Amino acid sequence: MLQPKRTRYRKQFKGRIHGLAKGGTTLTFGAYGLKAVSPNRISARQIEAARRTITRHMKRAGRVWIRIFPDVPISQKPAEIRMGKGKGTPEFWAARVKPGRIMFEVDGVPRDVARQALELAAAKLPIETRFVARLGDED
Amino acid sequence: MAETHGLAATKRSGSGTGAARAVRREGRVPAIIYGGDGEAESIAIEARLLERELRKPSFFGTLLDMEIDGTKTRVLPRDVQQHPVTDFPLHVDFLRVTENTRINVDVAVHFINEEESPGLTKGGVLNVVRFEVEVFCRAGSIPESLIVDLTGTEVGDSIHISAVSLPDGVRPVEGDRDFTIATIAAPTIEVEPEPEDEGAEGEGEEGEGEEDGGAEE
Repeated sequence: MLQPKRTRYRKQFKGRIHGLAKGGTTLTFGAYGLKAVSPNRISARQIEAARRTITRHMKRAGRVWIRIFPDVPISQKPAEIRMGKGKGTPEFWAARVKPGRIMFEVDGVPRDVARQALELAAAKLPIETRFVARLGDED
Repeated sequence: MAETHGLAATKRSGSGTGAARAVRREGRVPAIIYGGDGEAESIAIEARLLERELRKPSFFGTLLDMEIDGTKTRVLPRDVQQHPVTDFPLHVDFLRVTENTRINVDVAVHFINEEESPGLTKGGVLNVVRFEVEVFCRAGSIPESLIVDLTGTEVGDSIHISAVSLPDGVRPVEGDRDFTIATIAAPTIEVEPEPEDEGAEGEGEEGEGEEDGGAEE
């Protein structure tokens, strides 16, 4: 799973995800992609599940690019523990995704295969998504 | 060679965010025509008609006969600003051109004979380095696309611009070097990762436990 090699601080504030993506909103590497339409945190595990679904559906043909990186440590307190006594332990890594962000790109497969692979991957993600193609690539 | 389509537009008054938003509320897309001999003109295009043009292949390589309140102007689309989420066109730039205007334009690259490439049939992957190539040519002779023939290409081969036959009067802008358009890469073998990375998580928990202890004291 994706995670940073090292970080300056172990824990981060939760924060909120406001606004729209200001970069990474257009296809750069592949011919087709999956665009976020709603904001949310996406965990490294969800990214990996989506990636695995795409590569399996494409029968390991073509190429896949992941355009998001889980660099936010998410902490959780253990079950049945009283509140207080400091912030919980970092449990997993997540990427903050704003609407408009291209999360995955694929290339080297026909449009219908790419579309189905990305739709299956979208089912693994906690956000609304949209299939996108390059300008001039007709439906 | 470049096709010519017609597109109807109206002049728009006012400039800036407020005026542009007012145009968008009416179902039209603000645009501008600049270059050539005339002054820059602010126009508005029906969103429905523009979207139809955008869906056609090679929008940026197609000359348009823009009909603005009855007068025709030949233009070439140069830029489209799109909404980051919906990809709806927000603004379009058009360059006023004549048949002989020399311009830099991005032309799409199309690949043919993929099934006749031994590298691809053996499971290799076509890695497109450039989906578009910037060429210098006359506005009247913009190629629709650059055709790359993949016949006989093996895994590890690279296709450079020198392997593409360009029409007369068309030359790549980066003419000083033989840049790569695509490569045939070896298939990637997926390695199933370990089920859990227990070591890293364990360390984190230990560290946290020590800190908590300190806080209690």
